Amino acid sequence: MKKLWIGSTAMALLLAACSSETEEAVQTTDATAAPAEDTGKTEVVFWHAMSGELETALNTLVDDFNASQEEYEVEPVFQGTYEEALTKLNTVAGTDESPAMMQVFEVGTKFMIDSGHIQPVQDFIDEEGFDTSIWEENITNYYSVDGVQYSMPFNSSTPVLIYNKDAFEAAGLDPEKSPMTYSELKEAATALTEGEQKGFSILNYGWFFEELVAAQGGLFVDAENGREGQATEAVFNGEEGLNVFNLIKDMHDEGTFYNSGQNWDDMRAAFQSGATAMILDSSAGVKGMIDNAPFEVGVGYLPVPDDAERNGVIIGGASLWMADDIEAEQKQGAWEFMKYASSAEAQAQWHVDTGYFAINPAAYDEQVVVDQWAEYPQLKVTVDQLKETQANAATGGALISVFPEARQRVVNAMESLYQGADPQEALDQAAEETNRALEVDAAKNGN
Amino acid sequence: MTTIQHELADRHVERKRAWSNWATGMLFLLPSLLLFGVFLFYPMVRTVYLSLFLTDSQGVPIVFVGWENFLNLFQSTSFQISAKATALFVLYTVPAGIVLATALAILANQKLRGIGLFRTMFSATMGMSVAASSVIWMFLFNPSIGLFNRILAALNIPGVQWLLDPQYALLSVSIATIWMNTGFAFLILLGGLQNIDQSLYESARIAGVSESYKLRKITLPMLSPTLFFVTTVSLINAFQTFGQIDLLTKGGPMESTNVIVYSIYKDAFINYNVGSASAQAVLLFVAVLVVTVLQFKIGERKVHYQ
Repeated sequence: MKKLWIGSTAMALLLAACSSETEEAVQTTDATAAPAEDTGKTEVVFWHAMSGELETALNTLVDDFNASQEEYEVEPVFQGTYEEALTKLNTVAGTDESPAMMQVFEVGTKFMIDSGHIQPVQDFIDEEGFDTSIWEENITNYYSVDGVQYSMPFNSSTPVLIYNKDAFEAAGLDPEKSPMTYSELKEAATALTEGEQKGFSILNYGWFFEELVAAQGGLFVDAENGREGQATEAVFNGEEGLNVFNLIKDMHDEGTFYNSGQNWDDMRAAFQSGATAMILDSSAGVKGMIDNAPFEVGVGYLPVPDDAERNGVIIGGASLWMADDIEAEQKQGAWEFMKYASSAEAQAQWHVDTGYFAINPAAYDEQVVVDQWAEYPQLKVTVDQLKETQANAATGGALISVFPEARQRVVNAMESLYQGADPQEALDQAAEETNRALEVDAAKNGN
Repeated sequence: MTTIQHELADRHVERKRAWSNWATGMLFLLPSLLLFGVFLFYPMVRTVYLSLFLTDSQGVPIVFVGWENFLNLFQSTSFQISAKATALFVLYTVPAGIVLATALAILANQKLRGIGLFRTMFSATMGMSVAASSVIWMFLFNPSIGLFNRILAALNIPGVQWLLDPQYALLSVSIATIWMNTGFAFLILLGGLQNIDQSLYESARIAGVSESYKLRKITLPMLSPTLFFVTTVSLINAFQTFGQIDLLTKGGPMESTNVIVYSIYKDAFINYNVGSASAQAVLLFVAVLVVTVLQFKIGERKVHYQ
């Protein structure tokens, strides 16, 4: 603090030396450079995992909030990827070092609830009679458990099919019509496969598998996806999961599937360089793709098996959590920020800057969004897909605390498909290993 | 005073001196003992302790399970794959890396104009961080835009999925690792070569022996202490490899590059199974210990100290 004072005084002196004004000038500059405490603002530390352009957008949002009121000062701190940030939180949760507010990815939801160091936002909602119906239903559906809203939805995204319109045209397909079913997808992929170009690719990442299963109404774990009680068994190796694995296996065997590994950037590079004509990507990546691809980019819904009913998508992304062991003032500050961040204006700007959904649908009527959609009509597809989603246990998403491990197992199984493994066996093994993780987790919690 | 009394007094003084010597010695050792204790011995003991428990997500032991963590590991196919990957990785990287570094060091040990340039080039990878090198190799290996597959394409050979095919992934990471580690081994070995007494070579020249005889009978024996050091360090390093795995493959595909250290990291910091991760750490420690002891028992006999 002392250093800061010396620093600001030195700055002030320097400014005074440059200007021709007298003593009073020094006094006034000094006052404005005073640290936040003097203004009586409560500091709210906010850990997040937004890097690159997303961090810039987030900082703008926080600055706007800080400027909008006098009482609280939110201080954003970047803590690495979602996984890394969660690991760091783990080391300080429940101590004085703990941040007041924390951004946690969707599959960390159960983990956070079980941690016992969080303050459900429901208490603030009840206290204030805050109307949560202004939020997108599918998003609140994911982050509430047994009717209790634990965290504040913040940045949400869903998977979409992204395709190369130019390649569609060259292959004699209708570039305005994206494949909606597995057989349409296979046919399109066959037509698109030519020379160096393959038809379709899915990143080896558990999220896409979960989404493709949920799109058909399939569950990931028992107990209604862990929402009606503690999940004890993985059920993703059922019919819906097998549909997905068969699809990958068939396309790989036919030579129309491109294996793009586990790295998002590699997959996007493969799409942009024309190595594959269709991919699954996050809706948050759509805008960047349109800007960077050297061809026309189309966006479509997630395909489902021919005879399956389309259920929709699970919400991905992250939400904001409030720490429990902090001062009441800080909690209030975190709550005020959450309310601000979910307002229509803030969400509109956020959606435009990042491509994440607005959790508050009123944002889509804001002028910035209307303008943006006129320029990028593809963005609207991502929103429509979410709006058409049925709210049920499948699209609500699974609630288990061993999600990271389950994902590793699924990825392993996906990769074994490219080596000729049997889809059902690969799935069964992944499910069995996930069961073991669930078992260990139950043992830890004394069940 | 009798002689016995004298002797007793002497012994007493001696013992006192020995004690005070020991105390002085300990006093000098205290700072390093303290540091080792806090940052090495305590964590080691704690790791062994944690390996016998199930822990909560913050690493606090909650259920005592005895040897169960170890038993589960021995039964798990994941761990077997992991152990195999580690062994293969050591086998791929250490011998090849040392042979390459030795060859380069012998080449660069000649007195030629501009040799400094080559020495700098050969040792340059030492100045590269693992992260930077991994990013370079990631681009080289990239199946759609990478250099290697472009070269293959130019030669009309179908491209290889370097990091995505379980058959090639470990090999690809090993190649990158050899490249990364060569600089360090090269530098140490070059230093070793320059320490060899030149008079030995002069005698050899007078005796008129061949170059290969000189290499076998002078250079390599005289270099053996350095080679021994480099081998030991490389072995331990290879067992502990993490950075390039994390950046290039994240242990995939199909766990083919999931070496033990990476598996420990995943278990402890992604899956929050600190108990199981600690058990793996204990096993890794034992493995490294055994290999190092064996190396000293067997390898050191062949080392020629001047």
